[in-house]
This record gives sequence, structure tokens and C-alpha cells, in this order.
Amino acid sequence: MAANDLIHFELVTLDGTKFGEDVYEVILPTPDGYIGVLPHHIPLVTIASPGIISIRRKPGDRDDQMEYYATNGGAIEVLGNVVRVLVDEADHEAEINEQEAQKAFERAQELREHAKDQVSLNEAQSLIDRQAVRLQVAGLRRRKRR
Amino acid sequence: MANTITLKRRINSVRNTRQITKAMELVAASKMRRAQEHALRTRDFYTLAQQILTRLRQLTDVTKHPLYRQQNVKTRLHILITSDQGLAGAYDANLLKQFSQELQQDHKDGVTSQVISIGRKGSSFVSRLEGVELLAAYHHFAEQPTANDIRPILNTIVGLFITKKVDAVDVIYTDYKTSLSQIVTSQRLLPAAYQDVPIEPDLEQALFEPSPEAVLEAITLRLIEAQLNQAFSEAQASEHSMRMMAMKNATDNANDLIDDLTLAFNTARQAAITQELAEITAGAEAIQ
Repeated sequence: MAANDLIHFELVTLDGTKFGEDVYEVILPTPDGYIGVLPHHIPLVTIASPGIISIRRKPGDRDDQMEYYATNGGAIEVLGNVVRVLVDEADHEAEINEQEAQKAFERAQELREHAKDQVSLNEAQSLIDRQAVRLQVAGLRRRKRR
Repeated sequence: MANTITLKRRINSVRNTRQITKAMELVAASKMRRAQEHALRTRDFYTLAQQILTRLRQLTDVTKHPLYRQQNVKTRLHILITSDQGLAGAYDANLLKQFSQELQQDHKDGVTSQVISIGRKGSSFVSRLEGVELLAAYHHFAEQPTANDIRPILNTIVGLFITKKVDAVDVIYTDYKTSLSQIVTSQRLLPAAYQDVPIEPDLEQALFEPSPEAVLEAITLRLIEAQLNQAFSEAQASEHSMRMMAMKNATDNANDLIDDLTLAFNTARQAAITQELAEITAGAEAIQ
């Protein structure tokens, strides 16, 4: 397989560069839904929403061989066969503990119920969104192991 | 004899102090290293955000965006990053000196000053000032802040700026140059700034979803976030570095003190022995 059949994918977070390799396909969360980016995608600049980033390293890889990251929002740039994703945080599936995520999710829900003003409500809601994504990624990982 | 006992006691107490300062020095050193690493990790994020912003600038008029609105400054918001604990040499004194100068400048220009302070030392200083509004005070802020810790501050300042309640936002922190030199710096966060670079032809046909303005806003927020994060890391590294130096000096002082006291102790002991001998010989001679 020639190297030019791949696309370079960079995942940059506040905590440093989490991923920087050539891959076949990246599926990214945007406000309009998930988009798949394949090699030689047209130039595109868009917003990343909280969600799951899925990576297919080689063309023949099955869905259960994909790698997952849970992220919150940021920005996406596709330019010259390079995908750059700029997000605040990205957790690899291996870094997420499902029980912990579940507990954090419940705590966040509790926070939302007890929120007194709009600010704490917003904060709780963003925590819930974040933990929900982490839970989804943990679920995907469990399915993969079976 | 009483003299040697007091000296002995003092030596022991200085020894205990030395043990504590030594331990604090080591703790500060390891924390400093971690803060430095954290500062380095943010750099990629900042560079990439800056790059995307630069490309965006060629496609949309950045200056029209509310976050880039330049205008006469009537209200200035300072974000003051200080420490929670003392024993860090001149760390807080330097910061507060610079901060006072900024406030005087504001006063001279007829600008209203507002403050968001991080760290106990900063808020206790600001609460004693007159004519300065303290908007928020954060104590025991995370040592290595994540996006979740920074988000509330970011939302506050962006909200105030967009609703035109403040016209400029600066962050005052101590920039870590080397372990020996740290410089208090005041950096402008809002209105956001950008650098000039040449246009890239590829991007002219790029798709923007949902719109260049929406993407611009997302990127700009990330940039300010990265700047804030950078300021926090630099401040942490400086604080720990200065605490390390202060504790090193304290340990050195304790060592000198112990040397002096030991010398005095030995002299006193010798004097006591000599005196006792003299008394014995004098007594023996009196008998003869």
C-alpha cells in the first residue's frame, strides 16, 4: 500500500499532542453530525463538538479494530492531506475507566438537579455531556474486546 | 554550665528548622519541574491555534469580530495570578509591585480597574485597596489546570468583553525565564491579537462549516484559553523556583548558624573545663 493512500492525522490538546500518525480514515464529531475524512479530502475548516473521534489505521480494518478518543469541543482543519484537530481534552479509550466514568456521570446528574442558578446548571450540563461521551467510548471498547 | 545547655538547645532547634527548609526545597524543586513540563505541553496547542487563526484571517475580516474589537479603554480587567502560600521569597511582592504600577497607570488615564485574582495573597491585597473592584477570587487553584478549571474564568472574561462591560483584559503573572530569572509580565488577552503572515492558495477554496465567523470564534476562544493556561504554568514554575531558592538560602543560613553555634558551644565547654581545673588546683594549693 502506497503511503499517499493515507492521510496524516494530528490530535492536539492542551495537554500536548495525543496522536500524530498516518491513518486511512478519521471520523470526527461536528455540529452537523459525524463526518468521515478520507485521504485527499478537500480543504475544510469547521468546529468540533463534544463526541467520539474514531480512527481507522488501514483501509481493510474492521470497525472493531478502530481506535477511539472521547473529546470535548474545539476546531478541525483539513488542508493538504493533513487533518488537524484542536480540542481542549481528548481521552484515549484505554485511559477511561468505565466504573469511574459512570460514577462521575451520576455525580454530574446530581449536580444538575441541585443547580441553583444558570451558571452552575450550564457547568453541570457540560460535565454531563463530557462524561456521557466518555461512557460511550468505554462501551465501544467493551464491545471490541468481546 | 548553664551556658552550654542553652547553646546545645539552640543548635538542636536550628537543626530542626534546617530539616524542614531542606524538605521544602526538595518539594518545590520537583513541583517546579512538573510545572515546566506542563508549560511545554501546551505549546503545540497554542502554535496550532495560532496557525489556524492566521489562515482564517485571510478569508474573513477578523477585526469585525466582537472579540477583536479595539476601542478606547474605559474599564480594564486584570487577572492577577499570585500564590496561595508564602515562603516564596519576593514572588508575591514583585507581582504586587508591578500590579500597583498598572493600577496607578489606570488611575492616571481615568480608567476603571477591575480584578479577578487567583491565589490568596492576591485577593487579600486587592480587598484592602480602594476604588478597585474585585470581580472574583480563586483560592487553591489547580496546580496543573485543565480545560475544566480554566473554562469558568474564560467564560467570565469573554462575557464581560462581548457585553462591553470591560474594554481590555490583561493577565499579570510571573514569566519563567530560567531558574534564576523570573520576570513579572502583563499580557493582553482581549481584544485578541493576531500576527501577519502570507496567504496560502489552497485555503481559498476551503469549505467553512457552519461559517468562517463561527470557526473564528471557536479558535479565538481556544487561543485565549491556551494563553491563560500558559500564564498559569509559567506562574507555577516561577513560584516553585523562587520558593526553592528561598528555601535553599534558608538552609544555607541554618548551616552557617549551626557552625557558629557549635564553635561557641565548644569554646564554652572548654572554658568550663579550664575553670574547673583552675578551681581544683587552687583548692589543692590552699590546703598545702
